[in-house]
Amino acid sequence: MTSTDPAAFFREMLGEWEKMANKVGGDFARSDEFARALHGASAATMNTQEAISAMMARALAAANMPSRAEIENLSGRLARIEEQLGRIEGLLGGKAERPARPKPSRTRKPPQAG
Amino acid sequence: MATAAFDTLDAAAREFERAMQRNLKGLDYFQTSGPALGATPKDVLIERGTMRLYHYHPRTGDVYRVPLLLVMATTNRGYIFDMVPGQSLVEYLLDAGFDVFMLDWDAPRADERNLSLESYVLDFLPAAVARVKQESGEDDVTVVAYCFGGVLSLLWAALHPDSGLANLVTFTTPVDFSQMEMFRSWSDRRFFDVDRLVDTFGNCPGDYLYTAFDMLRPGQRTAGNIRLYDNLWNDDFVKSYRMFDRWSADTLPLAGEYFRQTTKKLMWGNELLDGALEVGGRRVDLGNIIVPFLHVAAEHDHIVPTAASAPLIGMVGSTDKNEIVLKGGHVSLVAGGNAIKRLWPNLVEWLGMRST
Repeated sequence: MTSTDPAAFFREMLGEWEKMANKVGGDFARSDEFARALHGASAATMNTQEAISAMMARALAAANMPSRAEIENLSGRLARIEEQLGRIEGLLGGKAERPARPKPSRTRKPPQAG
Repeated sequence: MATAAFDTLDAAAREFERAMQRNLKGLDYFQTSGPALGATPKDVLIERGTMRLYHYHPRTGDVYRVPLLLVMATTNRGYIFDMVPGQSLVEYLLDAGFDVFMLDWDAPRADERNLSLESYVLDFLPAAVARVKQESGEDDVTVVAYCFGGVLSLLWAALHPDSGLANLVTFTTPVDFSQMEMFRSWSDRRFFDVDRLVDTFGNCPGDYLYTAFDMLRPGQRTAGNIRLYDNLWNDDFVKSYRMFDRWSADTLPLAGEYFRQTTKKLMWGNELLDGALEVGGRRVDLGNIIVPFLHVAAEHDHIVPTAASAPLIGMVGSTDKNEIVLKGGHVSLVAGGNAIKRLWPNLVEWLGMRST
């Protein structure tokens, strides 16, 4: 059936283009060449990241400031202390802010069983 | 001839009307932030680093005896199960009379880079299940898990046969990683230095994973944006687009050691399928899972193709086990209009008979 609606024709064409782009792009993305190029680009990003990290660490040390690794370490220790405090608070009943709600009964049966 | 002319005029009038609406509503699109997602009332039972355990407020006075724990994939946020009222699996399960919990994930912190497969399978999952039992006062629990949450749940269930697991349901859960062609190609060990990536970044950045998911369908984003413009006049379309677009862009980083292990053991070694996978020094045998088991796959899943999950049903030791393949893709299987009609009623029926 031929449609006289150009907008409907456009939408149909868009769907076809999407299928084709997924197929062609997908085939290419599955190739060794693509994987090699992708990881080549990733390696370049990582090289840059490593160089910047090393430079920043030296600059921060020279300025007598903590490095990212030291801040992460501190953040981890703080998080563990918070977790321990939470557990202690729970044991002491200090987390009673949760309003008590009536608990439902647990006797429900599936509809077929009546 | 006259009819064709009238059709063309009708179509032109309709398109003109839509163009006007598009211009008016297009402004709204950029001025508003979209619907609030994941808003079903809940309590946070555990908030420990990347781990979150929620308990949703029951919506019926009488619930099924066995509580239900949803386990989310580690790559994405759990609100895919709780989009908006009327399009929320959580709400649907609550209304059907289930006591619903969810194990969800936040982005792992930089100091959580050393979390491993063992952390998820031998610590987070057992801790969540223990808390669900404590909260519900029941000794057994049903687990319903999505994608890689399914893999973690399978490993946990196989290694903890006495954990009180009542039923296990997995959605789109891969066990044969050789069939995940695109991911396998990108993680090809000839080109991909996973050790260097983890050693450099600590955690695997969420952007890497988002780009990887995006590249699985290279035409999807462009076509999606054109479709959004075309449908700006349609409030339902725009609402749905924003929900799913926001969720898919909300890809989480993965803890470094965990990413390294899953790449080496699963993507490279395919150890789960070969029966060679060890977690915490213990061999994983899915034959140890003997509880009622349901696996649901999506016919057009481009992330976990059906071939990647097909061996699962044969590997599980249960006698009461079933696999269903429904129309839809990886995401539309669990959320959106198709899920409401297809997956959710099937799930509620299967679980209802096994949750008393």
